[in-house]
Amino acid sequence: MSVVIETKNLNKIYEGARRRQDLHALKDLNLSIPAGEIFGYLGPNGSGKTTTIKMLLSLIFPTSGEIRILGSKDISSAKVKRSIGYLPEGAYYPDFLRGEEILEYYGKLYGLTGKDLKRRVDAVIDVVGMSHARNRLLRGYSKGMRQRIGLAQALISDPQILILDEPTTGLDPIARKEIRDILAQLRDQGKTLLISSHELLEVELISDRVGILFEGVLQTMGTLNELLTEREFSIEVTGATEAALSRLAEKGISVEDRVGDKLKLRVAEGHSSYEALELCRAENLNLHSVAPRRETLEELFVRVVGAAEAKRRQAA
Amino acid sequence: MKAVVDYIRGPWCIAIYTWREGMRKKTLVGFLILSLLVIFGSNFMSSFLDPSSETDMELKLIKDICVTAIAIFGMLITVFISASVVPAEMDNKVIYTVLSKPVRRGQYLLGKFLGVQLIILINLALMGSLFFLALYARQHVLPTLLLWSIFLTYFSFLIVSAFTFAVSCASTSSVLPTIAGLFIYLTGTLTEYLNDVFTRSGQSGAFIDKLVGYMAWCLYNVLPNLARYDLKTQIVDRAVNDPPTDALIPWLVLMALVYALSGFLMAYIIFRRKEL
Repeated sequence: MSVVIETKNLNKIYEGARRRQDLHALKDLNLSIPAGEIFGYLGPNGSGKTTTIKMLLSLIFPTSGEIRILGSKDISSAKVKRSIGYLPEGAYYPDFLRGEEILEYYGKLYGLTGKDLKRRVDAVIDVVGMSHARNRLLRGYSKGMRQRIGLAQALISDPQILILDEPTTGLDPIARKEIRDILAQLRDQGKTLLISSHELLEVELISDRVGILFEGVLQTMGTLNELLTEREFSIEVTGATEAALSRLAEKGISVEDRVGDKLKLRVAEGHSSYEALELCRAENLNLHSVAPRRETLEELFVRVVGAAEAKRRQAA
Repeated sequence: MKAVVDYIRGPWCIAIYTWREGMRKKTLVGFLILSLLVIFGSNFMSSFLDPSSETDMELKLIKDICVTAIAIFGMLITVFISASVVPAEMDNKVIYTVLSKPVRRGQYLLGKFLGVQLIILINLALMGSLFFLALYARQHVLPTLLLWSIFLTYFSFLIVSAFTFAVSCASTSSVLPTIAGLFIYLTGTLTEYLNDVFTRSGQSGAFIDKLVGYMAWCLYNVLPNLARYDLKTQIVDRAVNDPPTDALIPWLVLMALVYALSGFLMAYIIFRRKEL
């Protein structure tokens, strides 16, 4: 599969007034995103996600290292930019324009005119489900509708690559699901998506691969199957008393979820399933199921970032 | 030809968008309404003059107020809009969506600058039209001198606009460029005094005196002289359909275009590697 976005030893230093005030925002970043993939780009605030995106879009310039988009080093060329759609986080779109006019404006910037422009505007408005509000002024749009128009402007040139910064932030669950479905559809059409987000559940649901960045260093990168381990398992039981639960907790078996009388117990890494079942039997619990438990992306994120933070503290 | 059309299509689209957005800015609309009120109100104010005073006194007062209002409010609009279009787009992140499209930074700046010029021209046309109508209604002659005055006033605004725009490209807020724009305007209107400094220098024969004179001469020849674009005295004192005198209009236009190009190039040099 051909690589669409590639960075090699990419560094970015924001220069301060003095040398010791310099901020090394990105350190030797090596990314490789193949065509047709949804790549979740994660990291806490200030970790360097937006810096990376801005460099991919030539809004800022690398201190050292190399970026290749669609194999080209000239990433600010019109040819490369024509293949990229970008949705910035919290972008403003002028209130005095109608949804359709915004898309016409951005379409014209791609060189679209006449029938081609109209055809693309109709197509993207349809994709983001905004046909009913295309002639309404933006001041009458909800946050979700604005986000959809933002996504539509990113899609107006039918780009091969989509770079989305927090595409679902601030949206209600239904709007999130709809945006997620649109993104999955785009992936199915063969487009490559780079999604930077704090919404870990959303990213987990749609990403093929993720990378976690912390203080400018890529801490881990891989497919969700590679990264989300199954080192723990869970047991569903009923009939547990509080005293029994506290005794189990001392032995590393904690309550993860509770629905009425039914409890989902999480068995920490290091216990064998036989040992855990024996402990439950000793407490006279009614066993319903035993299943391997896959780590969530949120847990992976906390684990990776926590480890990196601890390492930094130790070094300091 | 096709390459030129392709190159200009993006900037023109940005210019129209800038104009549409700019004409909705409350500060700008406020300045425009105020200037139109002053021009309109000058007719009313002239009625307070002593009826026994000179016959053309009333007309002189109207012309004086109107020309001053156009110069002041036009300049405020010029400085305000030139100082704010680029920093405002950096602030609200619209610039990210535009520059991530196949639009070069030079094209983006050209579009913004053309948009600013559209705003200035339209505001000047509105103010000038009202003044034109006021004069025509009183004298029933075509005030050609006024048309020349407005024409030259635009070119003085173009110079101020270009340099203010250049400063705005180096800034992240519109405050500093606005102050810089007003400073550029004041400097431009006072350039004529540098010639006085030069002609009076060297009389004592002291080195410092000569040096000051030389510096004044250099600055006089480098800085734009906005006073040359001002036909106010002629408009107030002479008949409205007289031709302008003491003004080499083609030369002034050429100089304004050279200064505007210099200002735009400065803006481009600042902006081409600016981190956004």
